[in-house]
Amino acid sequence: MGDSALRADHLTKRYGRLTALDDLTLEVTAGEVFGFLGPNGAGKSTTIRLLLGLARPTAGRAWVFGIDAADVARAHRLLAHVPADVALWPHLTGAEILHLQARTGSGVDLAYRDELVQRFELDPSKPAGTYSTGNRQKVALIAAFATRAPLLVLDEPTSGLDPLMEREFRTAVATARARGQAVFLSSHQLAEVEAVCDRVAILRAGRLVQVASLPELRDLHRSEVTLTYTGSPPALAEVSGVGAVESAGEGHVRFTLTGSPAPVLQALAAADITALVVREPSLEEIFLDYYGAADVR
Amino acid sequence: MSTGSAALAPAAPGRAVTGSAIRQVRRGGLIVVLLTAGLPALVAATYAGVMADPAAAGGLRALAGNPAIRTLFGEPIGLDNAGGFTVWRVGTALAVLLGVWSILATTRITRGAEDARRWDLLLAGQLTLRGTVARHLAAVMLVPVVAGGAVTAVLLLAGTRTAGALTYGAGIGVLGLFFVAVGGLTAQVFPARASATGTAVAVLAAGLLTRMIGDGLADLAWLRWTSPFGLLALSAPYHRNWILPVLVLLAATIVVAGAALVLAGRRDLRGGLFAERSGRRPRLRLLSGVEAFAVRRMVRPLTGWALGIGAYYLLIGLTAVSITEFLTGNPRLADEAARAGFSLGAVEGFTATLFAILALPVGGFTAMRLGAFVAAETDGRLTLLSAQPISRPRLLGAELLATTAGAVLLVSVAGLTTWLGVAISGGDLALLAALRGAWNVLPVVLLTLAAAALAVGWAPRTTGVAGSLPATGGFLLLVLADSVGAPGWVRGLSPFAHLAPVPLTGVNWPATAVTTGLAIGSTVLALLGYGRRDIRV
Ligand SMILES: Nc1ncnc2c1ncn2[C@@H]1O[C@H](COP(=O)(O)OP(=O)(O)OP(=O)(O)O)[C@@H](O)[C@H]1O
Ligand SMILES: [Mg+2]
Repeated sequence: MGDSALRADHLTKRYGRLTALDDLTLEVTAGEVFGFLGPNGAGKSTTIRLLLGLARPTAGRAWVFGIDAADVARAHRLLAHVPADVALWPHLTGAEILHLQARTGSGVDLAYRDELVQRFELDPSKPAGTYSTGNRQKVALIAAFATRAPLLVLDEPTSGLDPLMEREFRTAVATARARGQAVFLSSHQLAEVEAVCDRVAILRAGRLVQVASLPELRDLHRSEVTLTYTGSPPALAEVSGVGAVESAGEGHVRFTLTGSPAPVLQALAAADITALVVREPSLEEIFLDYYGAADVR
Repeated sequence: MSTGSAALAPAAPGRAVTGSAIRQVRRGGLIVVLLTAGLPALVAATYAGVMADPAAAGGLRALAGNPAIRTLFGEPIGLDNAGGFTVWRVGTALAVLLGVWSILATTRITRGAEDARRWDLLLAGQLTLRGTVARHLAAVMLVPVVAGGAVTAVLLLAGTRTAGALTYGAGIGVLGLFFVAVGGLTAQVFPARASATGTAVAVLAAGLLTRMIGDGLADLAWLRWTSPFGLLALSAPYHRNWILPVLVLLAATIVVAGAALVLAGRRDLRGGLFAERSGRRPRLRLLSGVEAFAVRRMVRPLTGWALGIGAYYLLIGLTAVSITEFLTGNPRLADEAARAGFSLGAVEGFTATLFAILALPVGGFTAMRLGAFVAAETDGRLTLLSAQPISRPRLLGAELLATTAGAVLLVSVAGLTTWLGVAISGGDLALLAALRGAWNVLPVVLLTLAAAALAVGWAPRTTGVAGSLPATGGFLLLVLADSVGAPGWVRGLSPFAHLAPVPLTGVNWPATAVTTGLAIGSTVLALLGYGRRDIRV
């Protein structure tokens, strides 16, 4: 129990007839950076709202470091949150909002907060009503990263940031991880997930379809192999794990490979191969596989 | 505009916006129309019964000569017929109701929607900011127009004189239009809904005070031409039936609405005339916790309300001596006034009558604070705080505590300024007596706060209606029950029916205990509900 930062047990949320989240069981260990992916409307924000006790589950339960998520006064002492749509009090300046968050929260590293303000290039003297979407997100991000909470729950925190700030964000996540903080990161930015996450979960239409580390995820998917040969083309049609064999011009053949490469290597032993290129699937391709797939389960 | 995209986009985006604006005001609008038309209908229909005693009518007419009576209740003119009596009895209350609703609805669906970024998407299309503002103002304006038409129709059906019914209907309708325009203008000037609403309500309060001064002091009678309520009084329905003041108000409405549209055409989305653009040093006072922060958010609106209420009760204090002396000299009139619902025999009695209606503005203040709390939840401003280690009951509790403190302060300001007014005009009223009279309405105010809180906890969409039930609803119920001679239990439903005339008499402790108990019980339920329900974003 001690090293689970977040735990969801058969978590379900229905809005009338719509099942926004269906029987989610999930565990995030302390100190890990956990990516939470899924197409629009998959139920990512709903999950986060349930984990934060902002919404009540229709069924199931959730725990933050072993504390019932519904007990927000205790559970929230251990986490910091950046919502998907950051709305701020328009009359308060950035500095005043950071101060309010610090005073109502459970502990902030003030020196690090000032550093984050510098790094994210936020002008904290302006009233929040004048901030752009990205600047509002920065205020919430700075407030969250500056806490000493052992868990950060971030809902698409970089949707409004420019590439430079996105880089600062990745640095901040790495720093948080180095300090031992766990990060639960919902995102659409695959490059970001690839860069910072240890494990990812994929949600689709309210259901969890996969939880795996990135290398594991790749193994589950097709790589693309291109061969260059002399003489007659190698016979590949019947080899297990091989699919979509096609000629790629004179002396080249391309095919996809799923699972262990051993059968292919055996089949190729007889042929005269001069070059072999294996391309791993991009995360994007993996996701298109999941997102596009017909009803999983 | 190309034919290719016409197939995809709604054929008339403008009409869709107007339709959505109308949908946002139709429920509240219907209630307001029913009240503005229904109340006069009932009072007019029962006029014959109430005025059966000829002495009553004569006595009330004599009151017209007293400047203080004119100050507080408006000129009692045309009391010799059902229409005139109706207008005097409920006209001001309904004009204030329609005016306040017009302001609230206008700023809610214009600046409020803009604050919540609901207009970002709308204005990304073919619509201009000016066009969108115009369509929303037009949608709200439908309500006063319908209300004016409906009140004329029912007064005609009740058999009152045609010219009077037309004058009154036109007057109150145009008054509603005027406040839609004022709300529309302040919504362009100020970059936040709260300041827009506050300023427009301040304009309304100033208009009311100006009318009172103009009615009371013959030398300053011209002041009535500068106030929407004064113009309504000048039109004198069922007496002079003068349409010119109504036309003046209509012209003012056109000018103000025009100014709103000009500004809308010049400013940026979510900007204002006085936008805070430049940076400033942080002010860290009252940011140390949710309770302190609730107070911080309240300070500005509270100051506005305190100024308005203070000015009104200062005026009451200043006129109290003159009224009571006049009535002492005319004991028969005091009798008649008592029969009409005002016990004005002594300064204590007079102020006690006026303290009772203190529950209306202060109850309005509490309902408005909780309305703002729900708005903050709905547009997501509360989410960052909700994610802090603060239990939900504490979050709402902090708001309730701050609002209660604000209400106590407002009520005390009324007591203090009344005492000051009486003291300045050489009258005799103890400070503690004035304060006791003002504090006497606190249970009704707390009930209003608790009703609004109950809505926040269980059905946040209904906060506005729930918050206006105990005070505004209760007051209208009492006026109605008294005017039509309804059975005692109907009257008894109003918390005002159980309010003792303090400082004339002692506090009605059993009623105070019951009302306070109800308020506390509802608050506990409210906190329970708020702890359990989903935060709406
Ligand atoms: N309060 C609500 N009432 C009704 N339906 C809701 C509510 N909140 C969410 N939903 C529905 O639940 C589903 C999941 O929504 P959710 O916001 O969790 O998706 P998401 O994965 O965060 O999507 P996105 O990537 O667009 O942010 C959607 O179909 C949404 O319409
Ligand atoms: Mg989302």
